[in-house]
Amino acid sequence: MSKLYTFLKYFFITFWTVFVVAPFLWAVSTSFKDFQSVNSKVTYIPWLDFEPTLEGWRVLIKSPAKGGVDIVEPYFNSIFVTCTASLISIVLGTLAAYALSRFTFKAGFVRNNDITFFFISQRIMPPIVLSIPFFIFLSTIGLLDSLLGLVVVYIVLLMPIAVWIMVDFFNRVPKELDETALIDGCNPYQAFYKVVLPNSIPGLIVAGMFCIIFGWIDFFFAFILTFTEVQLLPVKVVALNSSITPWWSLSASALVSVAPLIIVAFIVERYLSKGNLSGALK
Amino acid sequence: MEEQMAKIDLSNISHTYNPLDPKPTYALNPFSMTWENGKRYAILGPSGCGKTTMLNIVSGLVRPSKGEILFDETPVTDLKTEDRNIAQVFQFPVIYNTMTVYDNLAFPLRCREFTKEKIEERVKAVSDTLNLSSFLNSPARKLTADQKQLISLGRGLVREDVAAVLMDEPLTVIDPDLKFRLRRNLKEINEQYKTTLVYVTHDQNEAMTFAENIIVMDQGEIVQVGLPKDLFEKPKTTFVGYFIGSPAMNIFHSTVSSDHEVKINDTTIKTNSNLGNLKDKNVKLGIRSEFIELAEKERSNTVKIKLTRVEDFGNFKLLTGKMGDLVIKSKVEREKPIPDGELNLYFPPEKCCVYSDEKLV
Repeated sequence: MSKLYTFLKYFFITFWTVFVVAPFLWAVSTSFKDFQSVNSKVTYIPWLDFEPTLEGWRVLIKSPAKGGVDIVEPYFNSIFVTCTASLISIVLGTLAAYALSRFTFKAGFVRNNDITFFFISQRIMPPIVLSIPFFIFLSTIGLLDSLLGLVVVYIVLLMPIAVWIMVDFFNRVPKELDETALIDGCNPYQAFYKVVLPNSIPGLIVAGMFCIIFGWIDFFFAFILTFTEVQLLPVKVVALNSSITPWWSLSASALVSVAPLIIVAFIVERYLSKGNLSGALK
Repeated sequence: MEEQMAKIDLSNISHTYNPLDPKPTYALNPFSMTWENGKRYAILGPSGCGKTTMLNIVSGLVRPSKGEILFDETPVTDLKTEDRNIAQVFQFPVIYNTMTVYDNLAFPLRCREFTKEKIEERVKAVSDTLNLSSFLNSPARKLTADQKQLISLGRGLVREDVAAVLMDEPLTVIDPDLKFRLRRNLKEINEQYKTTLVYVTHDQNEAMTFAENIIVMDQGEIVQVGLPKDLFEKPKTTFVGYFIGSPAMNIFHSTVSSDHEVKINDTTIKTNSNLGNLKDKNVKLGIRSEFIELAEKERSNTVKIKLTRVEDFGNFKLLTGKMGDLVIKSKVEREKPIPDGELNLYFPPEKCCVYSDEKLV
């Protein structure tokens, strides 16, 4: 029985690993191929099945004038927009979440939970519903097709995630922790940043990870709210496609697009697996 | 050293958690009380009786709905927690996870901008008292639950000038052996530094051994304040009689038959209470099982019971008997021979308490 269990366990782990890793390996392999090796017959291993070339990668950094599709600038645009919006969302979201977790709000029938739900409800709406208001809003304040405009829109999209995660996190940090800090002589602000915040680092990291992921992968708003001045990575990657699909450079760009998220995942993983996201009280 | 320890006056305090309700329910009914400087108090009562609310009012975490708090005659009701100079220890250890044990203990002093030398001196003194010296540099989160609670306790004791140290069932998570030692330590600290200690508990033994004065609470009401001996011998209400002592006080329905006598079933019991104006009224007679004596034969103030059970507790025997449908418990010395079947129990008049409307006459 236990042997069978062990066998099944390893079987499924192996199966799942192959399922997840194979597309990446396929993309890595494809990114070094040329037109011939992609289109003639199925090939797998460089040097054995086909002669590897760096052409797929070179295209990504060559300027359009030289026949390339320079993704370097969009890449840094994406990093800037994602990081700035995530950072602001985390700061504002954490403050909002702390207030929602610790103080009681009442306005008519509206209570803390309703306010928290209001934040999340922003994410329940299909993005298409928001696109027109965002478009009109940004064009009115003159921020259409600009990095700043994108940052503003991304904050709207990311802050609910930060609030949602942090409210849940702060609710699990016992309020006795704040009270103890007050008794020990902190004022409420000091209690927050000297005691509660350092205890909330795992929560902040998880919230940060989600903000970065959702900011980084957004195509829809980046596509609708930018034209020529500014481009973000997802839009540029899609623009790579042409009448002859350049599988090699698409693979290469897919790999460089995913790379930052993989790095983030490795950093965050140990905080996630710790499991003790709860606070000081045990 | 600045002398800041204070006499704490609670004047006409009451508190409700739903003040806007047309019919608010009171967690604390109006009361007044004074905590003298340097004494040890225990607040004793079942869960949910308002003990914690009272502590939180004193420390400023909760603002009372009505009434005033004075430290040394100075009103502090509107003062914020951080300005009150109170130390409070909660039921479960609250530690600053991200700091070392030393930083945890030093935190209250750092917040109040003590000098580095002073901090070092105080942290050393407190960590010696609490046996934490060897952990000072380890991260606080790595310690066991009872060590963590010692840190919480230490943070309360590290300031010498606190008005009072309030403890909300602080020894719940600590194992019995250490509990005993810590309670003695707290007593020593109180005697040495003259720090006012207020200790909330639902364990009567803890309260009796720790405090000079015990405050018994029930359903938001202070039912009795007194020395352990008073609570035991003359409980002011039947609740105190039930709550204090093990087993609980024997309490019987009875009728007043004359100025000093009550009738239980058909047996007349003489008491020292003056019952003149309660004639023929229904009252309750209470007597501790410790005070009931075995009688050789029937005489005045004895009741005849049918023995139903004898339990040997090692140091004493607990007899349970029945008189009609009334159950009577009596503690007797272990060596005493217990006759089988029926026996007579003597109720000393001076130990009998009579309760009218659950209150001591």
